[in-house]
Amino acid sequence: MSAVGGATASAVALELCTAREHWGCKGPRAADWLAAHGIAPPSRANTWTVAGEGEGALFVARLGASEFFVEGAAEWATDGGANGAAGRAVGDLAVHPAGVYPVLREDWCLALSGAACDEILTQVCNVQFAALDPSEHPVIMTLMVGVAVLVAPQLAPDGSRRYRIWCDPTFGDYLFHTLRALVLESGGTATGVPS
Amino acid sequence: MMRRLEAHPGEWLDRSARLHFRFEGRDYSGFAGDTISSALAAAGVPYLGRSFKYHRPRSIYSFANHDSNVLFQVDGVPNVRGDVTPLRDSMQISAINTFGGLEHDKARVLGRFARWLPVGFYYKAFHSKRWFPRWERMFRILTGLGTVNLAAAREPTPKRYGFCDVLVIGAGPAGLAAACEAARLGARVALVEESFRVGGSALGRLAVASEEQQTLQALIDTAVNSGAIELLPATFAAGYYADHWVALADGRRLTKMRARAVVFATGVIEQPAVFRNNDLPGVLAASGALRLLSRHRVAPGNRVVIVAANLEAYAACLELHAHGVQVAAIVDLRSEHEIDPADEAARTCAALGVRIVLAHAPYEAVPGSDGRVRALDIAPLVADGRVDARRVERLDCDAVLMSVGWAPAAQLLLQAGATLRFETGLQQFVPDVLPPGIFAAGRLNGVYEFPARCADGRYAGAAAAAHAGFGAAAHAPVARTVRRPSHAFPIIDHPEAKNFVDFDEDLQIKDLENAVQEGFDSSELLKRFSTVGMGPSQGKHSNMNALRILARARGLPVEALGLTTARPMYHPVPMKLLAGRGFEVLRRTPLDAEHAALGAVWMPAGHWRRPEYYARPGETRAESIAAEVRAVRERVGLIDVGTLGKIEIYGPQAGEFLDRVYTGNFSRLRVGMTRYGLMLDESGVIVDDGVVARLREDAYYFTTTTSGAATVFRELLRLNALWGLDCALVNVTGHRAAVNFAGPASRALLQTLTDVDLGEAEFPFLGVREGRVAGAPARLLRVGFVGELGYEIHVAASAAAGVWRALLAFRDEHGLRPFGVEAQRILRLEKGHLIVGQDTDGLTDPIQANALWAVNMQKRFFIGQRSLKILLRRPPRQVLTGIEIQDSDPLPRESHLIIEGGAIRGRVTSVVRSQTLGRTIGLAMLAPELAVPGTALAIRIEAGATVAARVVTTPFYDPSNLRQKAQAALAVPPPGIAVIS
Repeated sequence: MSAVGGATASAVALELCTAREHWGCKGPRAADWLAAHGIAPPSRANTWTVAGEGEGALFVARLGASEFFVEGAAEWATDGGANGAAGRAVGDLAVHPAGVYPVLREDWCLALSGAACDEILTQVCNVQFAALDPSEHPVIMTLMVGVAVLVAPQLAPDGSRRYRIWCDPTFGDYLFHTLRALVLESGGTATGVPS
Repeated sequence: MMRRLEAHPGEWLDRSARLHFRFEGRDYSGFAGDTISSALAAAGVPYLGRSFKYHRPRSIYSFANHDSNVLFQVDGVPNVRGDVTPLRDSMQISAINTFGGLEHDKARVLGRFARWLPVGFYYKAFHSKRWFPRWERMFRILTGLGTVNLAAAREPTPKRYGFCDVLVIGAGPAGLAAACEAARLGARVALVEESFRVGGSALGRLAVASEEQQTLQALIDTAVNSGAIELLPATFAAGYYADHWVALADGRRLTKMRARAVVFATGVIEQPAVFRNNDLPGVLAASGALRLLSRHRVAPGNRVVIVAANLEAYAACLELHAHGVQVAAIVDLRSEHEIDPADEAARTCAALGVRIVLAHAPYEAVPGSDGRVRALDIAPLVADGRVDARRVERLDCDAVLMSVGWAPAAQLLLQAGATLRFETGLQQFVPDVLPPGIFAAGRLNGVYEFPARCADGRYAGAAAAAHAGFGAAAHAPVARTVRRPSHAFPIIDHPEAKNFVDFDEDLQIKDLENAVQEGFDSSELLKRFSTVGMGPSQGKHSNMNALRILARARGLPVEALGLTTARPMYHPVPMKLLAGRGFEVLRRTPLDAEHAALGAVWMPAGHWRRPEYYARPGETRAESIAAEVRAVRERVGLIDVGTLGKIEIYGPQAGEFLDRVYTGNFSRLRVGMTRYGLMLDESGVIVDDGVVARLREDAYYFTTTTSGAATVFRELLRLNALWGLDCALVNVTGHRAAVNFAGPASRALLQTLTDVDLGEAEFPFLGVREGRVAGAPARLLRVGFVGELGYEIHVAASAAAGVWRALLAFRDEHGLRPFGVEAQRILRLEKGHLIVGQDTDGLTDPIQANALWAVNMQKRFFIGQRSLKILLRRPPRQVLTGIEIQDSDPLPRESHLIIEGGAIRGRVTSVVRSQTLGRTIGLAMLAPELAVPGTALAIRIEAGATVAARVVTTPFYDPSNLRQKAQAALAVPPPGIAVIS
């Protein structure tokens, strides 16, 4: 193992992910309700799954015992796939099913990837992300530069690590620009600058 | 005189790279691999600094980053540590703590006034109130080290977190052995070493046995090549914090290292002998001289005398001899029977013809014309601290090396919660009880011989790895050294003093004795009164000898006195490393860009930024604010209130939950209505307030103060977990935006944008409705914070801009003005509405705040109820009251006191000049007997002036609340807009 040093050039990328929709639900019947709508929730707390495939796939995270966070393509479709299921579920939430409560989610979503992303994260968060195994689909709820975030370690198609990071929209600009400064300083790239 | 020797294998220099620099206005050169101190020493500069108090010339003492007298101002940066800062080309270096330069320092005359500057003199000299301003000016000129450049650019540093299984601090033989063993057992190891290179001080020494050197090199090679060991040279552990969290500082940044186990192999710190003029340039620690010699090839002098009390002194003599440096004599404090006759180093030194004088002590170092040592007077040692001064012998020399003992570098270990005990045989404090996960090895642990140090390191490394879950601790513990490496009392009295115990603070033996005489006779009191150990070296060279002097003065053994408390930082840490990047959270509402486009002048509100007001060309700040207030009172205004905390609660017992956490009744609140919510803590103190809206039987939506949102939500979650009620909380503070659309024309204008029927009967005051505004799903709350007909409109964050722009479109035709926080403050004060945290403090209860109307004492339970019952039985100490203030310039401000009969009878909590009312109004906490309408008050403002005021009732504006209930005769509605009654 080499001595500590900075991230190497072009080894990290930050992306502001737009065109994604988010919603959430919680409550004693939330897990069953999701399943009844064809959205299989993760069985273990603080883990995530993907329902469906391709552009219409849904990212579903279980936050603690009975809260769920769902991310899908922009504008819920009405097709038969996972995205369509999400659209129908959102519609059903609006009529207040028993034991299932809506959680408004207007999160900003960032993606941090590249060989040096773990080094970037050591500068902003005290969680040892490098020790997590993405294949176990963990979801981490922690603070990053003072902002409460949801973090999902993942493996990119080429096998490298990447992290999806969600935060309250009122912190989004600060979090994005803070990470962007570190990424650019390390010779990386940042895309999707907020307007 | 110090001088550079010829090149030698193992030196740290690159002689092909010559570097040029300036010191005190003169040009010098050195090599790459030099530090500032070594380059100056090699150049023969006689002294490098001036002492703190007496401005005595000083030079290198330890060459271990412990010396305050080799701090420099380098390229505008103060207090650069010369021992460990690499020399760079073109450096501009000057000494600190001088007046007129190092050589001609004007303050050197202070030494002549030493008699009038005894220990603690400042406590007795500078206490006069009349004279203190003059003394303060003198302090600011005379004291402090270095010069801060206030115009220096901010240098953010990349502070980071680090993680490992086993952290090993110190990469000498014991530390290397510990790291290698822990790694062998499977642990991930971080090995920290404050020198530029690992291996400790024995590496590269000519007189050290080759077998020892080979073993050491093998350990280094293993550590370097191990994929499981992260080597961190030129890094020191600045402090130990809870849970094996250690702050590591290198030249670039601070690493917050979290380990599962920590091995302290921090070694020992060589201690000075105390004798007259032991601070002269050329008098230095033997280990420092050897580091200079082996690493930078700088000889301490041409003719060296060694003051000895251990084997290390003789080893130093052999090392000097191997480098061709003459040792004139070894002056050993010990008598013949105290020296091990089998010790090979001592016999070898004698065989080389070095004169060895036993049972003698240094009495006085004699300065030459250049300020450096030119001779050492020695005398027979007759008792602890005393010599036979009639038999003084003078030894000519140009360097005196001291090797009389060691103190453990245990500060970090103590911070980790370890206890030490004094081993009389070793004359050293050693670890006694170590907390779980903490291990000690090497000389710190009282193990001195090389093979034993390595074995001790392996033992500690294995134990640490086992603690972290790797392998089993299979090695046997190592016994401590039986010989005595430290003299029990290397301190020699002299009638003319100047025998320094603390080089940082210029403290002599008599200073400490005088402090004890004055009653400061514990280690903590002695430290605080005398300042021993409080300088840049933090007692590394002085604490042990100070303890010995204290023990002698009190007739107690050293172990009976105890150590002072060790606290971070181990070495001074540059502020920029602690500051890191200086992350400052900034929170923006979804309408931030809209405000910027409107010319908002920003103000901080906690982490948020909010518009204070909106600047317009041709208007002053006061005019803009006044116009915004006028717009709300006469037509309509629009403000972003998105910083409010916003929480939803669902479930069959949601109402029950709210009944418990607020003072009002919410389980019986009608669906479609809101109610003011007051939140107390267990002692009945107001902690937050807001508006609670009932959306459905099992769904509520409520607001909190901006600053209280996170705290309140966290507390509600805790309470929900505690009570286990069937309800769920959702924090939507950042996910929802909110605006307040208020003014006489608000209903008529808003009706054009919403499908909600805003008629008075359909949507009464304090109602809540859900529908659409400008096409976006919205919640409308009809509340009256600013005292006018108005609606809070809450929408999803992504819809906020569209709604805002739709409302803003009423600007041109209907005279709408967006208004900011300042206008809102005025409007709410005109209504007499309190702001929690401004008009209340950490002790204000609802009785004092005149808010009992919001409290339902008949409920079965709410938080704070029990305390309120007690408080209601006694009169309040103060009450919140409206006041009207005589116009003055300047106006009273918040927290100005109300004085009656020379006593404080209250304080102002809010005050504004109200254009609407044509007078200055405010709220104040007053003694109850003064809180009677019509009572005259006197408010003390700056410079002792007073302003008259009187108590009035509130609300100041629209006392019957007709306007917010839309029952007043209103201004003519805007043209084209139908009036909805």
